[in-house]
Amino acid sequence: MPDQPLQPFAPPVALLQYLPGGFSSGIAVTWILYAVFAFWAIYTLVAIYHWLAYSHASWVAFPAMATHILVSLALMSYALNGQAFFLSNYLP
Amino acid sequence: MKEFELEPGEHVVKEVRKHWFLFLGELLPFAILIVLPFALPKILVLAPPLAKYAMVFDYQTPLMRAALGVWLLIMWTSAWGAFTRYFLNAWILTNKRIATIKQRRFFYREVSSLLLPRVQDVTTNVTGIVSSLLGIGDIKVQSAGADVEFTMRGISHPEQMRDIILKYVSAKPETTGV
Repeated sequence: MPDQPLQPFAPPVALLQYLPGGFSSGIAVTWILYAVFAFWAIYTLVAIYHWLAYSHASWVAFPAMATHILVSLALMSYALNGQAFFLSNYLP
Repeated sequence: MKEFELEPGEHVVKEVRKHWFLFLGELLPFAILIVLPFALPKILVLAPPLAKYAMVFDYQTPLMRAALGVWLLIMWTSAWGAFTRYFLNAWILTNKRIATIKQRRFFYREVSSLLLPRVQDVTTNVTGIVSSLLGIGDIKVQSAGADVEFTMRGISHPEQMRDIILKYVSAKPETTGV
């Protein structure tokens, strides 16, 4: 059993200082957010296509899609500027 | 409704899906992962060597707030995708046939139909304490054909579904067409 103390590891924020020159942490975060939002948009479009094509005209389809889009937009807004609208009471 | 169209004179008798309790079980990993960024700072404080890392999770800073927002967005979207797949998987009993729709993942869909006059045997299976209390079970429908067998697992009150299927199987056809 190792008797050495735990070695500290670098938190994610500290890793941003190792970015190559001319590539700031702000730019990195922006591009990561773009990538996540683009993936979200594609995934959502695919899921909505399935809801519309295969849900057998169920009344659940539109509330499910609307809820997903509203919650997602609130979370995106929270990530970008801290404003989570109706989710503000549940987020730090 | 592209691949499952009702014929003239056909109507849907019952549409069943997996029991809600099993769906909640599928959502449990997402719930744990959503709570994780909020619980982790409190857990780290309890372990003195790791306590100093608790301050990393300061969601007042723009970077950590963005990270939390992205994490919650990914978890929410994944959970919603699970709900989509849950909803699109169904058994549909009409007055003429049974149709199973299996949405294994996006763009991977299986639809099978079994005409009621071909149904030979319907078996239900409820095992376990929780399943018995909540009425969760499997139903298996076998046809008169060689090896055609429809099975749906984890549906609510399978014995009710069996009774309805047998009622329609034994019902006299309205027209023979001969």
